[in-house]
Amino acid sequence: MKLSTFRALLIGATILCAALPSGAAPAVPEAAPSTAAAAPASPAADAASPAGSAGTSAAGSAPGTSAAGPAGGSPPVTQSPSAADTRALDEEAQSLKKDVVDLNRDLYVLEEELLYPANTQVAVFLSMDVGSFFGLDSVELKIDRKEVANYLYTPREVDALMKGGVQKLYVGNLKTGSHELVAFFTGKGPNDRDYKRGASIKFDKSIGAHYLELKINDRQHRLQPEFEIKDWGE
Amino acid sequence: MRRIDECRRRLVALALLMASAAAVAASYPLIGQSAPDFALRAFTGDNVRLSEHRGEVVVLAFWSSDCSTCGAELAAINRSFSTYRTAGLTVFGVSVEDSRRHARQFAGAHRVGFQMLDDPTEEVSRQYAVDSLPMVVLIDRNGTIRDVHHDFGPQDEAGYRAELRRLLDE
Amino acid sequence: MRRLRALLAPLAVIAALAVACPAGAARRESDKLPPTRVRDLNFGDVLFYYFQGPDKDLEAITRIEAYEHWGLLSHHRPEADLLLGSLYLDLGLHNAAGAIFARLLTPDVPPGVRNRAWFYLAEVWYERGYLEKAEQSLARIEGRLPPQLEAQRTHLLSNVLIRLGRDEEAVRLLDHWQGPPDWLAYARFNLGIALIREHRLADADRALAAVGTLVTRDPELATLRDRANLAIGYAHLQQHDAAAARPALERVRLEGPYSNRALLGMGWADADLGDYRDALVPWLELQRRSVVDAAVQESYLAVPYAYGKLGAEKEAASSYENALTSYGAEGQALDAAIARVESGKLLTGMLAGNAKAGRYGWYRQLKTLPNAPESRYLYDVFAGDDFQAGLANYRELGEMQRTLTEWSSSMDAFGDMIDARQRAYAVRLPRADRLLGSGALDRMQRRRDELASRLERIVREHDVAALGAPDQQARWQRIRAIETSLAAAPHDAKTDGLRDRLRLVKGVLYFEMDAAFNARVWRERRTLKDLDLALHEAEERWIRVERARRSVPTNTGEFASRVAGLETRIAALQVRLASTRAKQGDYLAQLAAGELAEQKQRLAAYRVQARFELASLYDRAASREDQAQTPPAAQKEPPR
Repeated sequence: MKLSTFRALLIGATILCAALPSGAAPAVPEAAPSTAAAAPASPAADAASPAGSAGTSAAGSAPGTSAAGPAGGSPPVTQSPSAADTRALDEEAQSLKKDVVDLNRDLYVLEEELLYPANTQVAVFLSMDVGSFFGLDSVELKIDRKEVANYLYTPREVDALMKGGVQKLYVGNLKTGSHELVAFFTGKGPNDRDYKRGASIKFDKSIGAHYLELKINDRQHRLQPEFEIKDWGE
Repeated sequence: MRRIDECRRRLVALALLMASAAAVAASYPLIGQSAPDFALRAFTGDNVRLSEHRGEVVVLAFWSSDCSTCGAELAAINRSFSTYRTAGLTVFGVSVEDSRRHARQFAGAHRVGFQMLDDPTEEVSRQYAVDSLPMVVLIDRNGTIRDVHHDFGPQDEAGYRAELRRLLDE
Repeated sequence: MRRLRALLAPLAVIAALAVACPAGAARRESDKLPPTRVRDLNFGDVLFYYFQGPDKDLEAITRIEAYEHWGLLSHHRPEADLLLGSLYLDLGLHNAAGAIFARLLTPDVPPGVRNRAWFYLAEVWYERGYLEKAEQSLARIEGRLPPQLEAQRTHLLSNVLIRLGRDEEAVRLLDHWQGPPDWLAYARFNLGIALIREHRLADADRALAAVGTLVTRDPELATLRDRANLAIGYAHLQQHDAAAARPALERVRLEGPYSNRALLGMGWADADLGDYRDALVPWLELQRRSVVDAAVQESYLAVPYAYGKLGAEKEAASSYENALTSYGAEGQALDAAIARVESGKLLTGMLAGNAKAGRYGWYRQLKTLPNAPESRYLYDVFAGDDFQAGLANYRELGEMQRTLTEWSSSMDAFGDMIDARQRAYAVRLPRADRLLGSGALDRMQRRRDELASRLERIVREHDVAALGAPDQQARWQRIRAIETSLAAAPHDAKTDGLRDRLRLVKGVLYFEMDAAFNARVWRERRTLKDLDLALHEAEERWIRVERARRSVPTNTGEFASRVAGLETRIAALQVRLASTRAKQGDYLAQLAAGELAEQKQRLAAYRVQARFELASLYDRAASREDQAQTPPAAQKEPPR
């Protein structure tokens, strides 16, 4: 009986070893109460279980039935990967991913430098600084009377703006000299009513990347978001 | 889409269909390509951007108010949508329409469980080479266009469902 | 090995960034944090992607690195580094994250930021299995972190200690720890486990009972509660204290992930006390459940064992036969599952996955396992950190393949652009060169200077004639000519008369020109000013052309070679991606196959046991019959 209990406990304990994730809550170590096995992925711990069969002879004879080892079963054809294998593969994946990340950066840099050289570049950003939720729907941008951007915002994007993200709405090239930017935004107001606001600005482009920021804010506390355009120059 | 044009296009499409269904699909130029991203307003609800749905199987169902079988198509799609949405299926109806009023009426008249999107400039239908209606584009979880369907008779629905299951299982 | 990182990450990052980046970066969840005051628009751009969710991580990383390359993030250095580090962690780039955090550990970085960096580093080390390094990093934190992070720090340290087998220290750490309430239960659980390993059962009981008697609706806490009860129940069973074990095991939910094991344990508790009839109750219940589960499999042997103890040998025999049947069927199912795994079909259900979920959100969706027969065996494997990390790698590598494919098609467009540009330059360059070489600007400048100095002389000398109208100047010239010839003539009445008349005419003419002089000077000056303006503009344009011209040969040539270089790198990485991804897939299949093989082994052992017991039963029954039939003296057959 003792042996069977022990075996049962071995099973139980090793079963305990397999931790289930607890979602957002912090995980706990898979520390099994009785077994010495530490790493749950190690096959050693689980190898104890085949020996842990429960039954003993019905006549209550000596529980020498531990002879019932894996003798009847065939040896496993597959082995779980070792810890070293796991580590090696993870290192390989990491190094590869890092190379891809670096390449991605270089590609992006090339693209920006090729398409929008610093001399002629103009970039228009959009930011939102409102106290309560504002359902931004779309923004339309015109430079020198030509439409250059017409962007529809999804809830996810509005959320990112509300949290403090700034969207690079438009990047393009302009000759030096004087230009005019006109912007309209539409959204859902407090009473779920649509409304539209506009703003415009004249700016002088000289040599160097020129930044402009469309700022939606409700600083006037008029219960309605307003639009202003800030010229960051070069 | 004007009635005459549409009618003509449908006749052409029908002829092609009769030739061979496979040929129709094969002639669609975007199979195997990355689905062009777009953002559209929905008739009711939030704006939609296609790329935010990567990881799901996305079906784009193009319709028009003067397309006589589009109603049946949307109903059929709606049926499979209910079945598979929990498995990761997303469906968008996309209007191909001159008149906003007609589009809105049609969207209101055909109650479906998925979002109906308004494409006022017909930019999206151009991007997706919509040449006849109804037209349904199937996009896999990686954002690749896998197939296109042009008709929705009863035998087509079964095939369509099987295809959905395959894409969902990937 | 890689584990808790997953769970710690969301909270860690939330809290850390909440303070480090007052840029409202409560990792994708904050309704609570105030909006940011972003000075650098470019940093805000990065945040815009970051806040949208894990599937935009690569985009955020790309931009942050590009902006740093261009030197555009100067105002936000430590924050940008912290953000980049945590983004790396999100993508499983532990080494890179570690390097970044280490970079933040210089004296000129504010202590708050340094502390956070040490904490993250500790997580990184822990994640990679370097437990001592994790402990050392934690020890480098000076003072206290913000409350949420402080709780995580303690938690991380307790995990490290337990993993290192230093349970006593873990106990001391956790024993009187007061932290935020939602962490308390987990701390107590860890404490309980550590105490069990320290063989301090009474203390463990107290700690685990506190968790085991929690009143909660939270599903995760309820699961923790079950685990606590199971742990202490089995700990008591091991000490043969069935009376102590029972109450704990009875608290485990009947419908929950731990109920099978609890039922098994309850049966053994009863068996321990000799109550085999009572033991049958939970064990028979177990037999009605899915035989995939190990506890259920064991119950198939436990039930006949109990029957045997109760002397019900017929029931015992039939139970063993029942066991053999079930084991047999289950063995076949296992074989089918193994075949599926080995043929590579295992992962098709899981691997497309939900890109939105990201590395750590993913396993919240573990509940919706694929519809494959083998998935039920592999719940534990799927839930394990190795599998999850491997699966995340697999999906991220796939995403990267897709990204690179897109870039690849852009490369052609870039090449076209560069060609077009080169062609345009081929036309414009000679023109620009001619213009620049012509010295036209210099000539213009000199002419202007000449005009200016001429005007100054005219003003200085009040040379009204110089600014006269053409007819005036003509008349002036005639007058001067006559003057000259008259000067040579002798003086007589006639010539004097002429001279007088000339003087008069000259005077009148002079008077005319003088009257208009100021106005004309003013006009000239105005013209000069306009000329200056035009010259200035021309100069600027000249400079631009010069600048552009200077950069051209390097520009297009440089771009062309950059494009070529990048194309090569894309191709090389695509090869590596395909290969490593395949390896990762194999690894996952191996994990699954290994687990299935072990289950098969266990099942085989049970079968052997059952057969053996059954055979023994029959032998004993047979020999009893023999004994009953033959007279006592004539017993010959030895029991088999």
